[in-house]
Amino acid sequence: MRLLTSPGLKYPLTVTKVLIEEGGEIQQNDPIFTYRFRAILREQYNADTGLYDDKEADFFTDFESELEGIVKSVDVSVGQVIKGPVVVAEIEEPCKHEVQFAGMCANCGKDMNEVTYSTTHTNSERAQINTVHGNTKLLVSQDEANRADDEAKRRLIKSRKLSLVVDLDQTIIHATVDPTVAEWQEDEENPNHAAVKDVRKFQLVDDGPGGRGTWYYIKLRPGLKDFLDLVSQHYELHIYTMATRAYAEEIANLIDPDHKLFANRILSRDENGSMSVKTLKRLFPVDTKMVVIIDDRGDVWSWSPNLVKVSAYDFFVGIGDINSSFLPKRPELEARPAKHTRAEIEKPAETDGSDTSSGEVKSDGSSKRSRSSTPASTPPAINGDVTAVERMISMAGKQDEGSMKEKTEEQDETIAAQQKERPLQQMQKKLEDAEKEAQTSPAVEAAAELLVGNGHHDLEPGESTPPSRYRHNLLIDDDNELQHLGESLHNIHSHYFAQYDNLNAAPQDTRITKLRPGGHTKKRSLDNLEQIPDAAVVMADLKSSVLAGVHLVFSGVVPLGVDIHSHDLSVWARSFGATVSDNVGKRTTHLIASPDRRTAKVRQAAKKGGRIAVVSQEWLFACFSQWKRVDVGAYRIHCEAGGSGKGAAALLPDGFERGEFVLSSSDEEAARTEDETDGSVTPTGGAPSRPLKPLEVNTADVAGDVEEDWAMHSPTVKREDSSANQEQNPEDWDDIKGELDDFLASGSEAGDDSDTESVGTQSTIASDGLRTPPEKMDRKRDYDVAFAANSESAEEGIQLRKRKRGALSRTTSSTKVVDPTSEPAKQVLGEPGGGSTEAAPDGDDGDDDLEAALAAELEADADEG
Amino acid sequence: MFFVKLLQDTLPLHPSYFGAASQQYITDLLYTRNEGKNTGTMMIIAIIDIDDISEAKIMPGTGMAMYDISYRAIIWRPFRGEVVDGLVSSVVSNGFFVDVGGLSVFVSKAMIPAELKYTVEGSTPSFTDNDDQTIERSSQVRLRIKGIRGEMGQMYAIGSIREDYLGALMQ
Repeated sequence: MRLLTSPGLKYPLTVTKVLIEEGGEIQQNDPIFTYRFRAILREQYNADTGLYDDKEADFFTDFESELEGIVKSVDVSVGQVIKGPVVVAEIEEPCKHEVQFAGMCANCGKDMNEVTYSTTHTNSERAQINTVHGNTKLLVSQDEANRADDEAKRRLIKSRKLSLVVDLDQTIIHATVDPTVAEWQEDEENPNHAAVKDVRKFQLVDDGPGGRGTWYYIKLRPGLKDFLDLVSQHYELHIYTMATRAYAEEIANLIDPDHKLFANRILSRDENGSMSVKTLKRLFPVDTKMVVIIDDRGDVWSWSPNLVKVSAYDFFVGIGDINSSFLPKRPELEARPAKHTRAEIEKPAETDGSDTSSGEVKSDGSSKRSRSSTPASTPPAINGDVTAVERMISMAGKQDEGSMKEKTEEQDETIAAQQKERPLQQMQKKLEDAEKEAQTSPAVEAAAELLVGNGHHDLEPGESTPPSRYRHNLLIDDDNELQHLGESLHNIHSHYFAQYDNLNAAPQDTRITKLRPGGHTKKRSLDNLEQIPDAAVVMADLKSSVLAGVHLVFSGVVPLGVDIHSHDLSVWARSFGATVSDNVGKRTTHLIASPDRRTAKVRQAAKKGGRIAVVSQEWLFACFSQWKRVDVGAYRIHCEAGGSGKGAAALLPDGFERGEFVLSSSDEEAARTEDETDGSVTPTGGAPSRPLKPLEVNTADVAGDVEEDWAMHSPTVKREDSSANQEQNPEDWDDIKGELDDFLASGSEAGDDSDTESVGTQSTIASDGLRTPPEKMDRKRDYDVAFAANSESAEEGIQLRKRKRGALSRTTSSTKVVDPTSEPAKQVLGEPGGGSTEAAPDGDDGDDDLEAALAAELEADADEG
Repeated sequence: MFFVKLLQDTLPLHPSYFGAASQQYITDLLYTRNEGKNTGTMMIIAIIDIDDISEAKIMPGTGMAMYDISYRAIIWRPFRGEVVDGLVSSVVSNGFFVDVGGLSVFVSKAMIPAELKYTVEGSTPSFTDNDDQTIERSSQVRLRIKGIRGEMGQMYAIGSIREDYLGALMQ
C-alpha cells in the first residue's frame, strides 16, 4: 500500500534525511524521513510596540509511518521539497485487513478501530462491503468482494446455474396468524377443511416477560415443492425477505426441511440494513449479471431489471389486501365484499364480519380502510398507502414487543367479537333459505362465492351441510402461478446459457491459438467472466417481445389522481414491451378496463369496432405470468355494453351525441337490460357446473346486482356462448358493422380502385372513429349491398381475396364477423330496446345476404389458404 | 476460561418494595439481572453466593433505595490464544462462523488449512478436504482465538484452525 504524506502537514517540506531503505521492515510509527519546514515563531514581547515579535524559523521533525510492513520502494530523496501530499513509499503489508469481523481483521486478529496520532485512515475503512447473508458483522474490501464474486460466478457457470433471489410472503407462501385456521384444520366437517388441511404452522416465542408465542399458519403456494425442485436444478436459491430472521428460518424449515435448496442463504430484515427497500447490492455487491429475482412487489426492488414480478399469492382471503398497495388481485378481492354487502341483506354486522376476518397481526388501519372502501366501491388501489414497512411489521413484527402485544390484543378482541356475533352464521342461514327457493340459481352460487370470499370464517360444524359443492370450490387453490413461473425461469436460464455459449465459443478458440500454453488458462477464464451475458438484458429481451406492439390504455383501473405512467400496472406492462398511453387513440390496441364500470373510454373504444380489445386486467396478469400474449378472447369485457352505448347514441340526434350525461344515462339502462338478458341467457352455454335455472331469488334489484357480479367474474362463460348471446344483443351488430368498415377500409388500402368513392367514405368513417350518423349508415349499408353483389361476381375474386387477406390477418375479428351472420337478422332487429336505427329496414336484407356471402367466401378462402 | 470471581453491583429498589421482604427482592433482582449477562469481556454464568448486601441508601429525588451487593459468581472469559470448542453456525465462502457459548467467532479462509476447500456440494456449503475432515453447519470445531473484541452485551472473536489438533472434532 502506498504511504502518503498527510494533508495536514506544514508544506513545503524539505527532506533532510531518509531513514528507510528498500527491502527494510518498518513498524507502525517508525520514522520514514526527517524534514525541515519553516514556520512562524512567536518569540518575545516587544515592550516598545506592545506586541509580540513574530519570527520565521526552521524546524526539524520526523515523518512517521502509519503502516507497517516491508518497504517495496522509497519515493523521497534528500533535498526534495514536498509541496503537497505525495507518495513517500510503497509498503507491502503483511495483512491488508481485507476481511473484517466485528471490527477485527479476520486474518490477523488486530483491532481495526485503533487510532494513533499518525493515523489518517482507520483500518475499518478498508472493508465496508457486506457479502454474507446472515451476518452484518462480516465486511470485506472491494478487492475481496471482486474475488469472491469471480469465484462464485465461475462456480455457477461450471454448474450452469444462475442465482435466484426468492421472496417469501405472498410469493411462494401465504401466512396468517388467524387461529381460525387451526379450528378448521381440526374440524373435518368444515367446508374449508379440505383447503386448509395442508396449511402448516409454527410458533415463534416472543422474547421478554409476558411474551407469548404466536402461531403462524403458512399456506404453501400450490406446486411449491415441484417448483423449487425444478428451479433448483437451474438456479442457486437465496431467500430475501422483509420478515424477521426467526420467521424466515422457520419458513425455510418448512419449505426446505433438508436445507438442500437454500442452505443458509437466507437474508432477513435483521441483516438487510433497510426496512423498506431490498437491494441486490446487499447480496451481490459486485455485479448482478447472473441474478434473477422473484418477488410479488416491484416497488421494494425499485423495479430492478432483474426482477420477475410474480402475482401475489392470496390464499387467506382478506389478509392479502393489507399486505400490499398494488397487488394485482386486489381489485377483484376488494370488489367482492363490496358487492356482497349490497346483494346480501346488508346488516352492519356483516360488514364487520367481513372485516374482522382480516383480524390478523395486521394493523387495524387496513381493516378500516377496507371498511371505508366497502360501501363506496372506491377504486381498488385505495390502500396504496400501506408501506412495505407496515407490511413487514404486520407480518412478523415481533421485535417491537409493544406494538406486537397491542396487535395481539386487538386481534383477540376482534376474534372474540366475531365469535359472539357470528355474522356469517346469519348470512349462511339466509343463504340456505334462498337456496331452498331456488336451489341452483346462479345468484346463490354467486352469493356463496362471495360469502366464502368474504370471510371464510366461523362456518360452524352444524351449518356445513349446505351445498358443499360451492364451498369446496371456493377456498380451493386455483393458483397456477408457480407453474408458469417455473417455465419462465427455465426459459430465462436456457436463453442465458445459449447466449453465454454463443459469446464464448468463438473467441476462446482464437485465444487458445494465440496464447502460450503456460499463461492462457488463467487468462481465458478471466475473459470468460467478462463475457458473461447479463441476466437483466436477457430477461428484458424475453419480456419485451411478449407485449411488443401492444398499445394499452387503462380505464377505471388506476385510481384517480395517480399518474398512470408511474402506476405499477403500467410499469409492469411496459417492462413487457407494451406502450401505455392516457387516452384511446389511433394506435391503441387494448383497453384495460374495470369489469364493473363502463367508462367513457370503454365506450370510445367500443366505437372503434373490433380494433380495440376491451379486456379486464386479468388478461394483463395472464400475460405477465405466462410470459406470452394470451388470447384476449376469454378476457373480453363490455363487448355488449360498449356497443349498446353506441346503439343508444345512434338513436339520438347529432346534437345529443356528445352530451356525456345523456349518453351515460342511456348507457346505464342499456347496461341493465343487457345484464338481465345476459343473466338469463348465459347458463345455456355456461360451464357444466353452473346451474341453469333462471333467476328467481330476492328482488329483481338484488338479483341484478348479484348477476352482474357473477357475470363479471366469469368472462369465460360469456365467450363460450357468445353466438347464442349475440343474437339477442343488437349492439354487437354495430360492432360487426364497425369491423366490416375496417375490413373494407383495409381493402381500399390494398389498392382497390373499382369503388374508390364509397370506399373512401367508409375509410374516413372508420378511421375518424366518430359515430356514424343515420344517413351515413344508410349509405354504408347501400354500399354493403353493392359490395356483396360484387363479391359474388368472379372478376372481383382476386381483389376480394386481397381484402380478405387483410381481414384474416385479424383473425379474431373476422371470426367474430362470421358468428352473428348465421343468425337471422330479423331477430336482431326485432329485439326491443335494440340499437338499430331507421336505416335498418332497407339495409336489412342486403346485410343479411352480404354477411352470409362474406362468411361463405371467408370460409372458402380459409380453406384454400 | 472459567473463573470464580468476586463481583460487585449496585442495585436500585423501588419504594413499593420496601418492607420485610426487601432483602428477598434485592436478591432476586441481582440474580435476574446478572446471571447470563455478557459484559463485553466476560459472561456471568451463575451466581454462587452473596457475600454482602449493604445498608440501603435512599437516593434523593427518586426515592429509590440503592444497595451495594458483593457476590461470587462463576464467569467465563475468553482470552486471546485460548483454545476453545464451539459449534459451527454457518459456512460462507470467506470462512465460517462458530458459536462458543456467548462468543461469536469467525474463522476466515486465511485461518483455515489450505487443504480444506470451500464447496457447495448439494447446496450445503462446507469446508472439506474430501477425506475425513468436513466443516459444515452444526459440526463441532476446536479453534484458537486470535483476536477478541467486546461490546456491551456481545463478544466477538477471530479464530484459527490452522494448527495441529485444531479443526473439526471427530464425533
